[in-house]
Amino acid sequence: MTNPTRILVVDDEPQLTRVLRTGLKSRGYDVRAAADGLAGFETFNDWHPDLVITDLAMPNVDGLELCRRLRAISQVPIIVLSAKGEEKTKIEALDLGADDYVTKPFGIDELLARVRASLRRANVAAMNEASDTTLDSGDFHVDLETREITVRGKSIHLTPKEFDLLVYFIKHSGKVLTHRTLLAAVWGGNYVEQNEYLRVFVGNLRKKIESDAASPRYILTEPWIGYRFDPGER
Amino acid sequence: MRRSVLDQRWAGYVAAALSVGALTLLLKTVGAHVNAATVSVALLLNVLFVATRWGSLPALAASILAMLCLNFFFLPPFGTFTIAAADNWIALLAFLITAVTAGQLSASAKRRAEEAEAGRREIERLYAELRDAFGRASHAEALRQSEKLKSALLDAVTHDLRTPLTSIKASITTLLDEVRRRVDSEGPVALDAESRVEMMEVIDEESDRLGRFINGLIELARIEAGELQLRRRWGAVDEIISTALSRAEPITRNHRVELDVEKELPGVRVDERAVSEVVYTLIDNATKYSPGDSTIRITARRSGDDLIEMGVEDDGPGIPIDLRARVFDKFFRATRDGDVRSRQPTGTGMGLAIAKGIVEAHEGKIWIESGRNGKGTRVLFTLPIGDDEVIEEPRYSAATVEMQ
Repeated sequence: MTNPTRILVVDDEPQLTRVLRTGLKSRGYDVRAAADGLAGFETFNDWHPDLVITDLAMPNVDGLELCRRLRAISQVPIIVLSAKGEEKTKIEALDLGADDYVTKPFGIDELLARVRASLRRANVAAMNEASDTTLDSGDFHVDLETREITVRGKSIHLTPKEFDLLVYFIKHSGKVLTHRTLLAAVWGGNYVEQNEYLRVFVGNLRKKIESDAASPRYILTEPWIGYRFDPGER
Repeated sequence: MRRSVLDQRWAGYVAAALSVGALTLLLKTVGAHVNAATVSVALLLNVLFVATRWGSLPALAASILAMLCLNFFFLPPFGTFTIAAADNWIALLAFLITAVTAGQLSASAKRRAEEAEAGRREIERLYAELRDAFGRASHAEALRQSEKLKSALLDAVTHDLRTPLTSIKASITTLLDEVRRRVDSEGPVALDAESRVEMMEVIDEESDRLGRFINGLIELARIEAGELQLRRRWGAVDEIISTALSRAEPITRNHRVELDVEKELPGVRVDERAVSEVVYTLIDNATKYSPGDSTIRITARRSGDDLIEMGVEDDGPGIPIDLRARVFDKFFRATRDGDVRSRQPTGTGMGLAIAKGIVEAHEGKIWIESGRNGKGTRVLFTLPIGDDEVIEEPRYSAATVEMQ
């Protein structure tokens, strides 16, 4: 039997960590809990979990600081638990490198689905890491050397910026990407406030890769936050 | 402002004609041989009067009229407009120039005075307007502050409602998920009996927490509206403490409880249930904010002639001096809002606010000190020793009266 996937839950609310521990364990995950960011970071260093679920508002080291510290040393998938009214903090967490968020109160199914998606993305990323020249994800195949992209086996023609944007999407499939993150990654730090650039390029990309640009299935809009890329199932 | 008849422009001309005429008549009747110089001065005064009262044009009219009268009636040959002596020509001309100049000067002085007055009135008007604007602005500021406070309270309330709700929702969906998988025989069911019970315990406890929170809100609202109804009866302090202690028994199991109650304390006329609620709240806080196995001391003693002082003391980390007043604010928690390092409290953030409300309704005071040796927290409150005055009826607040 392979080692079970390890999940670290960081929340200052003991009742919630109790429930999450039980709920996640019942699905075969190995779970540890920490009561604040500081304890969470220490547990991470000792135990090397495969995924971290963290609350945002916590005493001592909060969720944002935890994201910052974790990203400095690891690419572990991070899911933040946020509440309505914490939108600003949530976006900040995503900018700092959190992968996804779940809004409280949530059903366990929703959390489990996000956990699976984040783990899948991490695996794909790890696999792609092995090859420098090609990228395979769902319906997409990318040759990074010849800069050719095929969608569902069909070759598409992209401008250089569209290509960069799509490759960034594919590399971060399943992850919620804020407008700021995308602009900084593709256009550079001076453009992080230029949301309209992004809107235009996403619009163009959708026309080229989606079968119906009006109801996209690859580049999904996360209202007020940014986009999430779903590569589709092969 | 209504203008009187005398303020009209034509009234100035009429007044000029009448006054010059009347003065001439008067001087003529006083004596035919009045000195022309006296007449000139009198007429000059008349011109000045018209100028200051009606302005430059009526003054000019008065000047000319006065000159004619002077010529006709008082310069020889009398009764004609001809003048015999050359020096009288000069006198008449001098008179005219003097009258016109003086008239114009005094009229313009009057105009300036009026302008200054109008300016002053305008400044007063602007000042009043400005003051009104400031008044409105500070009212808006007060409203804005109160809105800010409201939204901070709303944040606190939603946080306290959402936290237990999140645990309940996660538990119940975990249980549901398992049942559904069992029904659909989808996959391995890995929720053992112990875990199922744990999930249900969480739901049970968190529902109670929501209930407590809502009860607290209601009690607090009642206190704030001044509708707290005390049922005051004679009671003994040690009985109040033992009621609170027996209720707190399940939460004090991990702590040592020390009682230090002065002997032969006088009775108090209080609402025993409410005061024992205060003591319970203080004990509850002490257990939450101090390590297990530490000591909680409950004290009661006489303070002065007419007060009983009660207190609950713990060996926890204590509350910094600058936060000691704020912990009585509703929803304020030193650990969350004041960054005191300690484990997460599970209270409602309303306990001390309610305790304060109850103590103050008894005309007592509640405050916080450091515990023994400057460590820990000591919450003290006073109750007046009951006098014989009967306060059996419920107290009606202003709000209640207004509603009737």
